[in-house]
Parts: sequence; structure tokens; C-alpha cells
Amino acid sequence: MLVGLSSLPVLAAIGCDLNDPERDVPRLFHESTSYKTSYVTISQRGGDPLLKKIEGRLGINNLALYAPINVPYTLYEIYRDKKKVGYIHGVNQKGQFGGIQVFIAQDLSGRIKTFYIQKITGKAAGKFRDAKFARKFVGLSLKDFDSYDPVSGKGSGKIAEIANPAPEMETDYFGILRGLKKDLILMDEFVFSMEHAQ
Amino acid sequence: MITPFQIACKNLQRKKARTLLTLVGIMLSTWVLVSLFGFNRGYENALNHDIDNMGYQLMVMAKGCPYEAATLMLQGGKGLRYMDETMVNDIVKEPEVDKTTPILMQAFFDPNKGESGGIAGYFGVDPTSYPAMKPFLRFRKGGWFNSDSAAEVVMGYEAAELEQREVGDMTMVPEKNVPLKVVGILERTGTQDDGTIFVPLKTLQKISETDKITTIGIKVKKDADIEKLENKLYQLKDVQVVSFSQVKQTIMKLIATARVMVLSIAIVAVLIAMVGVINTVLMSVLERKQEIGILKTMGAMPGDIFRLVWTETLIICAIGGIAGIGCALLFAKGTDILVRRILPYAPSGGLVNIDGKSILLTLAIIVSIGLLSGIYPAWQAGRVRPLDSVRSDG
Repeated sequence: MLVGLSSLPVLAAIGCDLNDPERDVPRLFHESTSYKTSYVTISQRGGDPLLKKIEGRLGINNLALYAPINVPYTLYEIYRDKKKVGYIHGVNQKGQFGGIQVFIAQDLSGRIKTFYIQKITGKAAGKFRDAKFARKFVGLSLKDFDSYDPVSGKGSGKIAEIANPAPEMETDYFGILRGLKKDLILMDEFVFSMEHAQ
Repeated sequence: MITPFQIACKNLQRKKARTLLTLVGIMLSTWVLVSLFGFNRGYENALNHDIDNMGYQLMVMAKGCPYEAATLMLQGGKGLRYMDETMVNDIVKEPEVDKTTPILMQAFFDPNKGESGGIAGYFGVDPTSYPAMKPFLRFRKGGWFNSDSAAEVVMGYEAAELEQREVGDMTMVPEKNVPLKVVGILERTGTQDDGTIFVPLKTLQKISETDKITTIGIKVKKDADIEKLENKLYQLKDVQVVSFSQVKQTIMKLIATARVMVLSIAIVAVLIAMVGVINTVLMSVLERKQEIGILKTMGAMPGDIFRLVWTETLIICAIGGIAGIGCALLFAKGTDILVRRILPYAPSGGLVNIDGKSILLTLAIIVSIGLLSGIYPAWQAGRVRPLDSVRSDG
């Protein structure tokens, strides 16, 4: 009762979770039959040197606002029957009028299967959540960011060819691309580079 | 010369396993008992702290409003009930009232939140009276609004974290597409304020195209009769009064069931420990019948034997009790987490508060019960006849 009366609650953000994994996982990863949730932190996986490495790869000083080194990132491991088939992972990214939550479903090679913006704020935000825009990211991987810098917005290749569907929200467009790159780098550091090393 | 205390210690060490098991029994029952006392104290303190953090003791709202929070979530504020802001003037005249603050809760539908949209809640507050009611709120950065109709917001820590906002950033009210500037971000409080977005009342009224409010927070004067004020407020038309002392009583009633359950477990644990003590000491007396007989032939009086056996009981209970209290203190955080998972509502702050008073009370109870349990074995030992014991096979 106190909860209801004291004030209007806004969902708390700790890391970046799917709002409803039971519903969202099958939607983002069609062939999934089950999933496992695990939590990974930079401090666990490598501490300060890893943080510096990730920031170096991102090209920005702060990985994210309100994301200390021990913030738990939620990692969804996707299974088809007993076989692991991929991952879903999301990040928070600063947008012009609010937080942007960018999620990607990846196969075991790191290629994007589904791109999903769970939350974005702005007059034309719906254009970024449109399925047409999301489809343009299918098949991309971290390598595609080798020729494109989402901080300066300069470069070439597949990412540079993706047109901004809402030119009036340019800040958010680059925010989405930065969020995507961050998501791919974190997945590379947390999962794929470790798998390759093994 | 060897003292009765030393003899008692040596006797207990003879059957180490048996003594240890009895100690564990007493330790566990002490652990449960002191944790229960700690919970009784801690829960009420935490609840009081949460209620004090509200800043006001009474809330007046349009009839049906206690359900408005749920309405806001489910219908995007379409079912909200409002009242006139002028009602604040009527209430403030009451002699029991110290301060009042008008509040407007509003919810807007955000289509770009989650798969099928979500609700964004805003809390319209008066920039003068609301901060005065909550002087304990601290800013991580920035401060309260620059004017009563500024296009500004103050965000709770978690709200800012979710929206990735810093002071100076812009935010936008969904549905209405009104941009607002972030002027303050609060420190984490561990309360609902953490997830709240505060907007100047007039600004939110303008955005919502209304001149009404949903709630009036009332701070009552020290030593004023809250019940009397409540009864007066009930006379106002189409409003209802929510008293946080009532809310507290309701929650405490809910928790009472859990407390009775834990108390029952504690009583059972203490009874088991008591039987364990009787069994251990009685066995020890029976095994030492010959020894006791010899002591008596050497001039020991029944009172001496009684005291010797009673000292053994005292040692077991004191060590078991202290170990139990130690465990309770050591694992208080773990108990806190466990209790939080079980209870339907847990206030912020520590739920298990074990203080010196609880420790002394528990120790007194355990030692008293232990000594009570030791009476029968000690009495049995005291009435051992020297000749009978020497004749027996032992």
C-alpha cells in the first residue's frame, strides 16, 4: 500500500534487461526453445584493464552513464532443445530526450539475427522501432564497424549505408549506432573472444 | 584448590560429543530467539523510517484514490479522480495542521516503451511546500526548480539512471511531446522517490490541461491529535483520508502472523533445547552416581552437589547462548535477505536490528530456562545416597 501511495513508481534500471523475457526471447530468437540468464560484470571479467580496453575500442571515455565497473550486464543464452544457438544482450545508451535500450540477438558467430530498440524517447521515436529499420541490421557483425565510426558519423560500408529514418532525431540515430557498437564490443569481450581463446 | 566451576568444566569435557550437541541445540534456539527480537525491533524502526521519509503523516485524496496508483499503471491515468486545489486552504486552517503540500500525479502513455508501450508517471509538486516537507532529500547534482512554472524536472536516482539523464539534459513528456530540462538529480534514498520524476505542479497542470490536483500531503503539528484531525477531514466532501499510522497498523497486522509463526518456532526450539539440557545433565548425573556418593562420604552436602550440577547447566547455557547471539549478529544480513524474500512488504533499511537490550534479554531467557531445566537433574544428584551409590555396579 505504501508503494502505491507514496509516489508513482518508474521501473528501476539495473543493467539492461528485457521487459518480459518469456515473451521477448521467442520473438527475438525464433528458433529458441529455452534460455538461460546470466549476469556479467567488467570487474569480474577483467577489471580496470578490460574497462580501458573496451573504452579504447569504443572511442569514448565513459562506457555509459550510471554504469560503474561492477554494473551487471544481463546475458541471455539461447537454446534450441539442449543446443546453444545464440545470445541476446542489451545496453543502455544516452539519447536526446531519454535512455535508449538497444538489444541484439546474435548467432554463435556473432552475427546479428534481430535488432530491437526496447525503449527510446522522442517525437519520431517510432520510426526507429519500425521493423523496416531493424531489418537493416540483420547479418551485420562487429567487423562492419571497422570502416565506420559512430562517434564522428564518418566512414563507409554497410553501416554507413543505413539511412536515418528520422532526420529530426539525428542525436538519437547516432546514439543507436553507438549503442549497437557498444553491445557488439561487450559481447565480443564477454563471450566471443573468450570462446575463441578456449 | 580446585573450584566447583573447574570441576563442572571437567565434567562437561568428559563426554565432548554430548556436550557439543547440547551446546548446538541451545545455540540454535538462541539464534532464532535473538533474531526474532531483532526483527521485532528492526521492522518497526524501518517502517517508521519509511513513513517519516514520506514527509507527511496524512494524505487527502479524492474518493477512490488509494487505487489510483494501480489505475495509473493500467489505464494511463484515464480513471484519475481530481479535487480542487482550493481544498488546501480549507485544510491548512485546521489547528492541528503544520504544513500542507498539493500534489498532482499524472501518467502518460509512451508507445515507445517496451513491445506494446508503457506508462510514464510524473509527480507534480509545489516547489515551495514539497521540499520543505522533505528536507532530508539530498541532491547528487543540481537542485529544485527555478520557478513554480518552470519547464524543468528533478529526477530520482533510478529514474535518472533509466533515462540516462544528467543535469542540463532534456527529457520529454510522452503523449504530449513537451520537452523539460533536468535541473536536479537526487541521491539514492532507497525509497519510491528514487524512481520518481518530479515536475513543478503548475507545469504538470499545464501539460495535463487541468487546474486540479490528486492529493494533499499533510504534516501534523507535534503532539497534535491526529485522530481528531482525521475525523474533521472526513467531513470534507468527496475526499478520503489516508493516515500513515493506519497504513503502519495494517502492515504491522500483516506482519504479526509472520511474527507469531517465528515466535512459535522459537518456543519449540527453546523447549527442544531445554529437554536436551535436562537429558545431558541427567545422563551425566546417572553416570557419576558413584562419584557423587564418594563426594558425599567425604562430607559434601546435598546443596554442594546441587550447586555443582547446576553450575554445569549454567556453563552449557551461557556458552550456547553467547554462541547463538554471535551467530545471529554474524548472519544478521543473511537473515535480513531471507526475511525480505518471505514477507509481502518489507520497508527499506535493516529489518533485523539486534541491539544490546535484545542480547541481554535473550541471554537472560536462555540462562533462566537452562537453570530451570537443571533443577531436576541437580535435585536428583543431591539426593543420591552414598551407600546405595557405592554398592551399585556403576
